[in-house]
Amino acid sequence: MSGLRGAAAVVGIGQTPYYKRGTSPDSEMKLALRAIVAAAEDAGLDPAEIDGFVSYGSERNTGQKLMPGLGTRSLRFAGLAWTHGGGIPAAVGLAAMAIYAGQADVVVVYRAMAEGSNQRLQVAVTQDDTPAQFLANGIDMVLQRSAMRTQRMIEHEGVPRETLEAIAQAGYHHAQQNPQAVGYGTPLSHDAYEASRYISEPYHLFDCSRENDGAAAVILVSAERARTLKQTPAYLLSCPMGASATMGSREDNHEPYTSVGFIDLAKRMWRESGYGPEDVDVAQIYENFTGMAVGTMIDHGFCTAETAGDVLQLDNLVAPDGGIPINTSGGNIADGFIHGMGLVLEAVRQIRGTSTNQVPGAKLSMMAGGPGDSVTSTALFGSEATL
Amino acid sequence: MAATARIRGGIGADGPFWDALDAGEFRIARCRGCNEWLMPAHFRCGTCGSWDIGWDEVDATGIIYAWTRNHAVSDVLKERRGALPYVTALVELPQAGGARLPGVIVGDPPNLRIGARVRGTIRPPEERSRGYATMVWQIEDDSAPATRVGETEA
Repeated sequence: MSGLRGAAAVVGIGQTPYYKRGTSPDSEMKLALRAIVAAAEDAGLDPAEIDGFVSYGSERNTGQKLMPGLGTRSLRFAGLAWTHGGGIPAAVGLAAMAIYAGQADVVVVYRAMAEGSNQRLQVAVTQDDTPAQFLANGIDMVLQRSAMRTQRMIEHEGVPRETLEAIAQAGYHHAQQNPQAVGYGTPLSHDAYEASRYISEPYHLFDCSRENDGAAAVILVSAERARTLKQTPAYLLSCPMGASATMGSREDNHEPYTSVGFIDLAKRMWRESGYGPEDVDVAQIYENFTGMAVGTMIDHGFCTAETAGDVLQLDNLVAPDGGIPINTSGGNIADGFIHGMGLVLEAVRQIRGTSTNQVPGAKLSMMAGGPGDSVTSTALFGSEATL
Repeated sequence: MAATARIRGGIGADGPFWDALDAGEFRIARCRGCNEWLMPAHFRCGTCGSWDIGWDEVDATGIIYAWTRNHAVSDVLKERRGALPYVTALVELPQAGGARLPGVIVGDPPNLRIGARVRGTIRPPEERSRGYATMVWQIEDDSAPATRVGETEA
C-alpha cells in the first residue's frame, strides 16, 4: 500500500452558485476567490494560511494571481494537473503529495469558469490541441469522438443503449432533492429524454453535460491536522493518475478502444486502498457524456459489458437504497458543470453525512475523473473508520 | 512539406500524410527500423527506438470501426454547419496494421454499420477541411446492409 494512503484529508469545501453559462455577475477570478474563501470558512481556517494551489485543465486563475486577494502569507506549492476533467482527482492527489512531502500545509484544489471572462468551455478546454486528422475531417475533440466510442460499445459490444438514459436519469433524480442544483425542479421524464434532439448519435441532448459559470474548491491538510479541525475529515485513500502502455494520446488508436482509461488505474486504486468496487458505498462518476460514464463503471469493475444492462438501472444507481448510487448531487448533467469540480465536493459530503441524497453510513466514497482523457485519474475517499 | 502545419494541435508529425494526399497518394507512417505501422505518426518509434519514419502507400479501402451521425457542431467547426447532419467514422485499415483513421462517410447510407467495407476518394482542399485535401469514404455497394432496427436508421 502507498504511504500516501490516508496521509491527507479534505477539511473544507466551498462553491459559488452555479449560473447559466455566460450569466455570472462575477469574473472567473472573483468566482475563484469566493469559492476558496468559502472552503476556508467551512474548514475554520484563515484563507491567508493557504500555501498551496492546484488546479487542472485550462484553469487560468493561478495561485500567484489569487494570492494578493487572499492575503497569502507564503505560496509554497503550485501546480496544474495535465488534461481536462481527467485531471481532477490528479489535482487532489498533487495536493496530498505536496502535504505528504512537507512542501505545503494547507492546499486548495479549485476550478473557476465564466464564459464572459473566457470562452465556451468546449473550446477553451481543448487548448487548440485537436489533432489535424480530426479537425480536417469535421470532428471536434470531445463530443464526437466520445459518441463514436459509445456507438461501438453499444453496437459491437452489446452494452444496452438504455444504460445511457439510466446515467442521465440518476443525475436528474438526485437533483430534485438538491435545491442548489441547476436541474432542481425540472425532473427528466423518459419521454422527454427520448424526444430530445440528437447532438451526436447515440447521444441525445440529455446525454450531454451542461456548462455553467461558477467555481468550486476543496482544501486539504495533513491527517493529523484534519483531526483538530471542525469538519469530519474525508481522507484520501488512493488517487492514481496515468495512462497504461496502449493508452495515452493515440488519436483513437488506443486499446482497448472502448475503455475510457481507468482499467489499470482502478486496479492501482483497489490495490493501494485495500478496497474493491464491491466495498464502495457511493460514487461520483464524471459524465461529460452518459456513455463515457458507462465506460467508467465498466473500467472500474462495477459491471462488465455483459452485466451493464442489469447493474446500470436507475433503481440501482440512486440513494439511499441503490447498490451503487452515483452522482448524488445531480452530477455534471443535473447539478451543474464547473468542469466536474462539484463532484469532489459531493464525494466529501457523503463522508460527512451532509449530502442532500445521503447514502446512510457512507464510509467509502469514490470520484472518477474525466473519462476518455488521454491521461486520467480516479480517487477513493474514506472516513476515519476506513483507514 | 509546409514549414508550418495549417492546424496547430495534436502530435504534429503527420505533415507527409497531408503532402501525400495533395499529390493524390494515400500514405501511412511506418517505422523503417521495425516495420511497425504508426498511427498517429510520431517522431520516434517507441517500439524499437528508430527515428527513421517512412510513409508507405496503401490501398484506400477500410472497414468502419466506429461512427456517429453529427447533428450539431461547436463553433470550432462552424464551416460544417451547412452540411449537418453528416456522418463521421473511424476507418480501420487492415492493410496498415489495423491503424484507425477518422474520416467523413459520404452521404447517409442505409447500410451504415460497424464492419461495413468502405472505399476512399481524395477530396480537394476546402475551407471546411482547413485547407487540407482529405480522404472521404463511401460504403461499398455490396457491403452487407445493417441488420439492426432502431432510431439511428430513421
